[in-house]
Amino acid sequence: MKRFLLLLLVLLLGWVVYERENLWAFPDIISAYTAKEYCSCRYVMNNDAEYCRGYVKQWLPTSQFTDDPASKTITVSGMGRSNRAQWLSERQGCRLQP
Amino acid sequence: MCKGLPLFLLLICFTVQAEQWPGEQWPTGTTITDTGALDNYAFPPRDDATRQGIRTDALLIIRDGQILYERYAGPTTEQTPHLTWSISKSLMATVLGVAYGEGLFKLEDPAAKFYPPLAKYPEIKIADLLHWASGIDWQEDYEYAPLRSSVVAMLYTRGHHDMAAFTANHDSYAAPGQAFRYSSGDSNLLAAALKTIVGSQRYADYPWTALFEPLGIRHAVWETDASGTFVASSYAYLTARDLARVGLLMARDGRWNDRQLLPKDWVAFNLEPFAGYKAHQDEAVPGGHWWLNRPADGAASPWPDAPPDTFAALGHWGQALYVIPSEKLVIVRYGDDRDGSYRHNELLKHVLKAVRP
Repeated sequence: MKRFLLLLLVLLLGWVVYERENLWAFPDIISAYTAKEYCSCRYVMNNDAEYCRGYVKQWLPTSQFTDDPASKTITVSGMGRSNRAQWLSERQGCRLQP
Repeated sequence: MCKGLPLFLLLICFTVQAEQWPGEQWPTGTTITDTGALDNYAFPPRDDATRQGIRTDALLIIRDGQILYERYAGPTTEQTPHLTWSISKSLMATVLGVAYGEGLFKLEDPAAKFYPPLAKYPEIKIADLLHWASGIDWQEDYEYAPLRSSVVAMLYTRGHHDMAAFTANHDSYAAPGQAFRYSSGDSNLLAAALKTIVGSQRYADYPWTALFEPLGIRHAVWETDASGTFVASSYAYLTARDLARVGLLMARDGRWNDRQLLPKDWVAFNLEPFAGYKAHQDEAVPGGHWWLNRPADGAASPWPDAPPDTFAALGHWGQALYVIPSEKLVIVRYGDDRDGSYRHNELLKHVLKAVRP
């Protein structure tokens, strides 16, 4: 049993090393996705705020969400990371910042 | 309406009737009345809380250059520039077609000629990228394998600053031009190549000057990454009526009024099935950055109830621009389908039944 657990640990570590780039980036997905797609829903497609909150909802939770209408900037936190998207212009729409 | 007119007026009358084009607005034709089955299929009661089932945002049917049917749901209206997701890929192909018509590149040109970071893949041609056959080891899964998904990493994490460079940094799995593998990365490499093809001075406005303005499209949005490259894979936004203009251009072989905007051989390339495609690799048969309803590799047509000349630009969550030249039909369908229950063939079947006398 001990040997089996040790083997499992080694395999797990190997996988973590192999996937380190993807694993490191993974926690950013939910906040970046929410910030970017909410920004475009709200300021490119011009849908109302309540609809856009439902539109970007995913199975992973977000902890903080702010939409500053003056600068059209959306900041979202989730899984320990924070991401920001901003509306730039009529033609260019929204983009993740920085 | 042409009865009792002098002969020359009759001639004018026929000429006008022969070919309708949208000006600032689309002309409205005789609207179809028996749309019960179509409405039931495309617009079932909508549930924004669970987001289950078919959730059509817009359905617009154009026949012979005139509106036959138009309906919106949810928050979408005729003024909404709706996210097209991967329809953007076919739009980029159309923008490239105009540059091709200017003689600025050839299909057989190496992509690295216009995008130097691809120098490690000197064999990849522009045509290969248009066939989604670069041989670059790309993982397209969106929601089901987010850890390994190249698309999610490109749009939201490691790749979003420079999506083409992110793509070029992938390994390869096959020789270019041989095997089909649907790749948003390939589309963004095309967007990056366009920068050199038309020059950086013209690039930022090129989709508008080359395509949108000639077609009378006034409210297109095309988001860019931080390097200024258009997100050709995913982020063009158009109203349903404006997207239908691109459909009409394609239905009429690349011609807009009197102007051959896209060379005919370019459109022919778009509509030629890619020989390296294997049956059932995707939901339709890839041509040159458009989707075709053609039998391929021993398999039947993907949409058996639609004519074989049907082709489409398709995007995530049910976005579709269908073109059926033999029926003079252009259909725009926007949606927000989250569960995959929507079927292209069903929609096309209901549309064809509703419009046929």
